[in-house]
Amino acid sequence: MKVLSKAKLEEALNKLSEANEVFVPMQKKAQSGYFPWNSFVSGQDELMLEALNVYQSPKGAVLPQTEKMYRYQQGGMEINIEETFEDSHPTIIFGARACDVKGILAMDEVFLTRGYEDSFYKARRSGNTIIANACYEPGPNCFCNAMEVDCVNPAGADVILRDGGDAYVWEVKSEKGEAVTAVIAGLLEEKEVSLPQLKPFVQKVDYSGVAEKLKTMFEHPLWDKLSEPCVNCGMCTFVCPSCYCFDIQVKMWGDEGYRFRAWDSCMFEEYSREAGGGNPRGASKERFRQRFLHKLEFFTERYGTPLCTGCGRCMIVCPTDINIVRIIDAVKEAEVND
Amino acid sequence: MTDKDHKCTCNDQPLVPKVVEVIDIIDRTPDVKSFFVKNPSDDGLPFQVSPGQCAMVSMPVGEAMISCTWQEEQEYLEFAIKRVGLLTDELHQIEVGQQIGLRGPYGNGFPVEDCKGKDMVFIAGGIGLAPLRSFIKYCFKHREDYGKITILYGSRSQADLCFKEELFELWPQEPNTEVFVTIDNPEPDWDGHVGFVPAYLEELNPSPQGAVAVVCGPPIMIKFVLQSLEKMGYQDDQVITTLEMRMKCGIGKCGRCNIGSEFICLDGPVYYLRQLRDLPPEW
Repeated sequence: MKVLSKAKLEEALNKLSEANEVFVPMQKKAQSGYFPWNSFVSGQDELMLEALNVYQSPKGAVLPQTEKMYRYQQGGMEINIEETFEDSHPTIIFGARACDVKGILAMDEVFLTRGYEDSFYKARRSGNTIIANACYEPGPNCFCNAMEVDCVNPAGADVILRDGGDAYVWEVKSEKGEAVTAVIAGLLEEKEVSLPQLKPFVQKVDYSGVAEKLKTMFEHPLWDKLSEPCVNCGMCTFVCPSCYCFDIQVKMWGDEGYRFRAWDSCMFEEYSREAGGGNPRGASKERFRQRFLHKLEFFTERYGTPLCTGCGRCMIVCPTDINIVRIIDAVKEAEVND
Repeated sequence: MTDKDHKCTCNDQPLVPKVVEVIDIIDRTPDVKSFFVKNPSDDGLPFQVSPGQCAMVSMPVGEAMISCTWQEEQEYLEFAIKRVGLLTDELHQIEVGQQIGLRGPYGNGFPVEDCKGKDMVFIAGGIGLAPLRSFIKYCFKHREDYGKITILYGSRSQADLCFKEELFELWPQEPNTEVFVTIDNPEPDWDGHVGFVPAYLEELNPSPQGAVAVVCGPPIMIKFVLQSLEKMGYQDDQVITTLEMRMKCGIGKCGRCNIGSEFICLDGPVYYLRQLRDLPPEW
């Protein structure tokens, strides 16, 4: 099999970075997330390919946290609108776990299907290659297996890396994968590597029937109890690999400025507040319910797969210990009156 | 209800507005103005719009989804806009000749074909007449395709009545058409009906036989009108309404305007009541 020796990893990342922005999981001071390899400071930053999940998912490579869309100039009675889309250079996400790749596949559904293609997303995504990293040892918060994700064989990956100790097995899965492989072909070797067996998941989650059951539970009293600790901080939505909601905002200096989009959160009151003051989800409980129903029911209904990928990040970052696994359990156990 | 064929003319860049010019502004009420727009330098219509569709109106301060009125052969689009927030405040201060941004059209629009052959009952409150007016005008333009037309409109006061010329002069002259107008409270120089729309509707009691009711107005009015219609024998597939939610993208991507798995900007805003019954009660 084709392998990339770990001793040659940095050389490979350098090579790939010549023509691509390569997002690699790393710890940068207090932050852990996917950052461009060429921002890596040796001795200060730490590569996190061995870690299961860094805090920030790689979704920013295809849906940046903020993204300029167009310039807006007003001069008296005239205006000028000029697209200022930031150059969409080719990108590689290196080392993404299957759950995070699934997050991007979910966003593909949103941004590239159902009537309209989002041109900004399309430009970034079409130049994006995913080199996924297979998981063999699920972490304490992992439950991707319950959310239609195969962590050993990540769907949607262009290349799959398999950690075989001293080397990564390099498995090409697509044409895009072929193209990046050609770039580092000189660094790959032929070698037999034995791979580990997938260890059992610690979290036991059963999502089967949840989407259907939730259809009858919009007004179920369990939402009052479950949502009570939520402080609507929005952390869960920002670390989520599949949360894609965005706001469109404007920045003007006098008569000139630009319009941009930015990650938004259904946890915030302004998210759905209307100009006249009305808000269909003005109460914290209503926003909490929206988030979980979107993840577990609405998205499944519309796109055929849940919007939760089982990465477990939201459970780790939540300051009030809200836990999507316990919510799925509570839904499964809830009594429903017909 | 998903994957509809949309009629957008700007698919390459659906989020980037085009520049249009305001060619006329009419005061409809103290806080409602109609803005008429066309392409700059007089070369016609920005895009065609079906009754009930909306477009995103853009100013430096932001964007908002507004119901749009257009008819065949009309060389401009009309937006009747109430001053309620940041963007609409700014819009109300502009003058004729001002350029603004516009993108669209968005949404499904009214089922004008489905309703052919039916008696039409239009029930509106306040600025809610704006989207219905597109459908009403469409019916008058294709008069032979529709049966009796009943229009019931209410607003808080005389001053707040929108489209007075149409309500009191043009529409009542149309064949087989009745127009009823009410205001919430008595006023010295008002000899018309006084009272809320739902009660007046029950008093008028238009027959559900072969009829379709189309409703738009403040949420509280819609709620009670739907109850009245049910009481009067209207079935859920004889009642149509058009919803509003906060919107940012207009193309079903940004997330916020969902009700259940529906995105109101893309799959709506127009729904039969029977469709709404299947959705979570957030409308």
